[in-house]
Amino acid sequence: MSVGPSPLDIFRAKGVPHRRMEDWKYSDLRSVVDAEAIERTQDADATIEVPLGIRRVDFENTDVPRWLTKRLPALKAIGAMDAAARTYDTAGVAFLVPAEMRVDDPLQLDILSSGHKQFALVLEKGASLTLVETHRVAGAGLRNVSLSLFLEEGVQLTHIREAKFSGDLVSVETISVIQEEGSRYIARFLTGGAKLSRTEVNITLAGEGAEADLSGVSVLGDKAHADITTRIDHAVPNTTSRQLFKKVAGGKSRAVYQGKIIVREGAVGSDSRQTAKALLLSDRAEADLKPELEILADDVKCAHGAAVGDLDAESLFYLRSRGIPESEARGLLIHAFLQEVVDGIEDEGLRGAAVEFIDSGLARAMESAS
Amino acid sequence: MLDIKDLHVAVGATEILKGLSLSLKPGEVHAIMGPNGSGKSTLSYTLAGRAGYDVTEGSILYNGEDLIAMPTEERAAKGIFLALQYPVEIPGVTTMMFLKTALNAQRRARGESELDALHVLKLVREKAKALNVSEEMLKRALNVGFSGGEKKRLEILQMAVFEPQLAILDETDSGLDIDALKIVAEGVNRLRSPDRAMLVITHYQRLLDYIVPDRVHVLAKGRIVREGGKELAHELEAKGYEGIAA
Repeated sequence: MSVGPSPLDIFRAKGVPHRRMEDWKYSDLRSVVDAEAIERTQDADATIEVPLGIRRVDFENTDVPRWLTKRLPALKAIGAMDAAARTYDTAGVAFLVPAEMRVDDPLQLDILSSGHKQFALVLEKGASLTLVETHRVAGAGLRNVSLSLFLEEGVQLTHIREAKFSGDLVSVETISVIQEEGSRYIARFLTGGAKLSRTEVNITLAGEGAEADLSGVSVLGDKAHADITTRIDHAVPNTTSRQLFKKVAGGKSRAVYQGKIIVREGAVGSDSRQTAKALLLSDRAEADLKPELEILADDVKCAHGAAVGDLDAESLFYLRSRGIPESEARGLLIHAFLQEVVDGIEDEGLRGAAVEFIDSGLARAMESAS
Repeated sequence: MLDIKDLHVAVGATEILKGLSLSLKPGEVHAIMGPNGSGKSTLSYTLAGRAGYDVTEGSILYNGEDLIAMPTEERAAKGIFLALQYPVEIPGVTTMMFLKTALNAQRRARGESELDALHVLKLVREKAKALNVSEEMLKRALNVGFSGGEKKRLEILQMAVFEPQLAILDETDSGLDIDALKIVAEGVNRLRSPDRAMLVITHYQRLLDYIVPDRVHVLAKGRIVREGGKELAHELEAKGYEGIAA
C-alpha cells in the first residue's frame, strides 16, 4: 500500500529497535522480542464500530483505495515497527469521513488480542469525529499497531486511547498524524502499561493554523512499563502544539516520556508548550522524562517543563491533621495531581471513563507501592 | 484535658523543646507567647503529630491517653485541631470536597454515621456565612490562590465544622490586617465553650486583645519561662521578650 521502499524492506533494513538507539533508550524492545517473532506474529483481533456515513475499506478484500494511497507519501520516516505492522497485518482497515460531515457517534477500535494491526483514517475538509481506541488486556506476545490519521483543512478529531495494564504483553503503537490548515487534533491517552509498552506519536503540522493538543495519564504499578514518545513537527508558520502528560508510578514500574519539538526553518509564529510530570510512589519506581527542542526559526514560542517528585509531605500532613487516614490522603493527592488532565477531557461520558480508569489503576499502583 | 510534662522535642539532631510543661482544662483558653525560634511551632506540630518532630523525653496526655504514639489522623478524630500558620495549597481538591472528606473520615473513625453531600453542604454554608467565606471559595481548589486572610478564615471555618475539643491556633494572626484579624477572632470567640480548650500561639499581644486568654505562658529557648494572667501579655508588649525572659 505504498510507493518507494516497501514496509517490509524498511523493517528488514532497520531491524528491531533497541536501547542503544537514542529514541528507544528507555524501551529496549530487542530484549523482549526478536525479528523472527515479529515476522511470525499474526493479525490482531479487533472489534470495529463504524458510525453511519463513514466509509470503511478492508484491505483483505479490496485494493487500497486511491483516497488513501495518494496521501501515504506524506508519511515520511516510517519506523521499523510501523513498517512491520503494515507488512504483517494483511487485514488492515481504512476509514474515510467525507467532507463537512460531523459525526456524533464515535468510531470505535477495540483491539482484543496480541498481533499486528494497521488502521488509516482520512478526514476530509471540515469533517469532525471522535475516535475511541481501546486496548484490551491480552496474554503474552506482541501487539503492534499502526494508526495513520490524515486531517484535511478545518478538521477536528478527538482521539481517546485507553490501554489497561497488560503485564505479559509487549505493546507497540505508532500513531502518525498529518494535519492540514486549521485542523485540530485532540488526543487523550490513558495508559496502564505492559511488560513493555511504547506509544509513539508523530505529528506533522503541515498547514497554517493547525493545532495539536495532547494530554494523558499513565498510572503504573507492579512491573509495568509505559513509554510515550512524541515528535511534533511545526513544518509551516503559525501552528500550535500543547502537551500535558502526567504519570504515577508505584511498585517497580517505569514511566517514560520523550517529547521532541521541531520548529522548521521559516515556521515563524510556532507556539509550543510541553509539560511532563511524574509522581513516584515507591523507591523502586522510575520515571524518565526527556523534553527536546530543535528550533530552526525565529519568533517562536516554546515552553517546556519536566519534573519528577514524591507526594508532598506538607500536603500529606495537612490532610492527615484533618482526620483523613494516610492511604486516603495519598489517594486524594494523587487524584489531585492527575485532575488537570481529566479536566481537559470535554465530553462528560469520556471524562467519567477516565476517572474510572484512574481509580482502577491507582489501586494497583498504591498497593504495590508499599 | 491536656497534660504536657517535661517535653523534649528534637527536629533532626537539634533539640528545640527542652523540658516544657503545660496543663489545659476544658473551657480554658491559654496563650503561648514567644519570640521567633522559641519553639512555638514545634509545640503545635508535636501536638498535631507531624512526622519529623521526635519526642525524646517527657509525656503528653490528652484526656488521659498517651498522645505521642497516636497517628495524626486519630488525634484529629479524637478532637485535636491545629490551625496552621501557613495553610497548605492543594490544587485539584476543591475546598468543599476536602471538608466533606475530612469530616466524614473523622466521623467514621469515631463510629458515627457519615453525612451525605447535601447535609455537609448545609452545615458548611451555615458556618461559612459568619466567617465571610464565600460560596465561590468553597468551590475553588483548597487554599489555591486564597489571600492570607482567606486562608486563615478557612482554617477557622474548618474548626467550626469539625468542632474539636482542643484547638491549637498557630500564629493565626500573622499576615492579617486589623479587619481580617477581627473576623478571625470573632470566629474563634464564638467557638469558646465549657468543653472546648484552646491554645493560642502568637508572637504579638495584638491578637490577645480580641481573644482574651485565661492564662499566658511565655516560651523562650524551648521552655516556659513565665506564666501569668492576661495582663502578662501587656507587660510583654511594654517590656519586650528580652525584659521578661531574662
